[in-house]
Amino acid sequence: MSSLALRGIVREFGHLRVIHGVDLDVAEGEFVVFVGPSGCGKSTLLRIIAGLDQPNGGDVLIDGIRVNDRRAAERGLAMVFQSYALYPHMTVRQNLAFGLENQRLAKAEIDRRIAEAARMLQIEHLLARKPGQLSGGQRQRVAIGRTVTREPGIFLFDEPLSNLDAELRVQMRVELSALHKRLKATMIYVTHDQTEAMTMADRIVVLRGGRVEQAGSPLHLYNHPANRFVAGFIGSPRMNFLEAVAQGGSTIRVDDMPPVPLPAAAETSDGEAVTLGVRPEHLGFVAEDGLPGTVDIVEHMGGESYVYVTLANGARLTLRNPGQTALHSGEPVRIGISGAAHLFSRAEGEPAIAARRPA
Amino acid sequence: MITTLARLIDAPFDALQRRFGAARMPYVFVAPNLLVFGIFVAAPMILNVWYAITGGTQFMPADRPYVGASNFAELLDCTNHFIPATCKQDRFWRAVANTSWFVAFQVIGLVAISLLTALILNRRMPWRGFFRAVFFYPVLLSPVVVALIWKWILQPDGVLNAIVVGSGGARVPFLLDPGWAFSWTIVVSIWAHMGFYTLILLAGLQAIPADLYEAAEMDGTPHVRVFWRITLPLLMPNMLVVLVLALIRAVQSFDEIFVLTGGGPGTATQYIVQYIYETAFANQTHILGLAATASMLVGGVLLVLTLLQLAASARARGEAGR
Repeated sequence: MSSLALRGIVREFGHLRVIHGVDLDVAEGEFVVFVGPSGCGKSTLLRIIAGLDQPNGGDVLIDGIRVNDRRAAERGLAMVFQSYALYPHMTVRQNLAFGLENQRLAKAEIDRRIAEAARMLQIEHLLARKPGQLSGGQRQRVAIGRTVTREPGIFLFDEPLSNLDAELRVQMRVELSALHKRLKATMIYVTHDQTEAMTMADRIVVLRGGRVEQAGSPLHLYNHPANRFVAGFIGSPRMNFLEAVAQGGSTIRVDDMPPVPLPAAAETSDGEAVTLGVRPEHLGFVAEDGLPGTVDIVEHMGGESYVYVTLANGARLTLRNPGQTALHSGEPVRIGISGAAHLFSRAEGEPAIAARRPA
Repeated sequence: MITTLARLIDAPFDALQRRFGAARMPYVFVAPNLLVFGIFVAAPMILNVWYAITGGTQFMPADRPYVGASNFAELLDCTNHFIPATCKQDRFWRAVANTSWFVAFQVIGLVAISLLTALILNRRMPWRGFFRAVFFYPVLLSPVVVALIWKWILQPDGVLNAIVVGSGGARVPFLLDPGWAFSWTIVVSIWAHMGFYTLILLAGLQAIPADLYEAAEMDGTPHVRVFWRITLPLLMPNMLVVLVLALIRAVQSFDEIFVLTGGGPGTATQYIVQYIYETAFANQTHILGLAATASMLVGGVLLVLTLLQLAASARARGEAGR
């Protein structure tokens, strides 16, 4: 396994700069997920690491050695493509063997690696078939198998699960995590799905507009988002945001609704305009004070309930209530902060002012 | 405006539908096309069979005496089929031999050059659109124009000889020497048709997903291996189409070569369709029976080739697993 470092990576297409100087270190054996909305540059970054694309500036280092000038095949990487990129005219066995034959490995070694990968991914019975005769999930396994046989220093995954149906996606997610534990390999995984990022990553790198917004462990990003974008992108249902005005450091006022006490003191000045961010599970119903509103819809998940509320000023909130609730549409409620609250400065992209858990 | 037009068209079709009923309307719509097909394709084919089994030099079908298979016997009568001079209809067999050699060289050259051109035009390069247009352009020319352009180049005092003489060489009889003339019919024919096949192959190349090449690149596959193991197998369905179309059209070669060489010198570039044309219409006695028989034999060969193509492409589709 290998480590990876990116130093000031810049990529431009014509006059359009899509990657703005990205720095990143990935340790040996780490599972890092690049996540972000479409066009954030995550796939471009992966292709630059792979050697399929060249940066206009900056260095790619593998095990501390600059590899910018090395061809893709000489970087010791293997990649799973979104479309799987299996050779349609070859059998699964031939697909797995193709790259190894390029390395002029002995036949016995090729057979050994194929057998091992096939066993690991449970595709032994598919070796004689062609990709066209496989289901989406099976093709996915073959594509992963092809990378496993290469025994690469770093595995790259470009949205590998996005062509699978929901159930299979969950299953493959678990299997990929298991594969990572088993191989103890360095893996870099690109996705737009924050759930995949949260469930698989050792570390998540949130990208937007070709810049790293925040990098950290899933729970760190969840609990301490560096800015409003990360706060909104990580977590499902997504965080509630309300335009508000700080009153001292301990209460906050939304329009002319009653002021709401914050769970912890924040470093704000009196009267500062901020964005209040609270996750659905950190809002609760209160008997008095709180923000007045009306229940729109209640979604019963069984184990928990999502309550959608419209506040008196027209803003919408989502609450996640443990267990089952007797609330129904049209019912008036009052809402208070029961868990952590985050305050973000109003300027777009500015870091969070405070992100405190209740004492 | 459009509504008025629609009403104008509506009226006669309404009348037709009332007369024939909705269930028969599909046949009404197909009828004009069937009529054209009948007059220009089906009827001549049937007439051709009649001419092949009748004799004499009369043009009207009813005036021709039935002779059974004697036209076939006459045409196939040879001591040794590989030596045209030993055949009763030696011009037919000479044309068959010429056509066979022509088809072999022309098709191999055409497919190879078209493939090479398509591979080059499929690369990222400056002026790609311009070059794609340039290579396709000869296909748009009338065969007669093609022949006249090349005649202008190849005749004894033509452009090519001007260059040869200008650079100190002796005048070359490009169209007057049998070997040269035969070679030039192949070159001209390839030049005139390659754009069409290049286009088919280019479409095939572009249909190969780019990520397969990226996967191959990640695997460190040498370019030559990428071509033989990925590009060529995935291009096979298109290659088969090209191969068979080229074969069929090579067998049918006539117009540009007829204008370029007239089949000469001697019979060096006389191919099978020219034989049929001259036997039926150009010679002083119109031997329609032999010409019809020869075209049936050619038709048979083309039919076999077409069936081979269908079988091969069905197999290729199966193998690609798609």
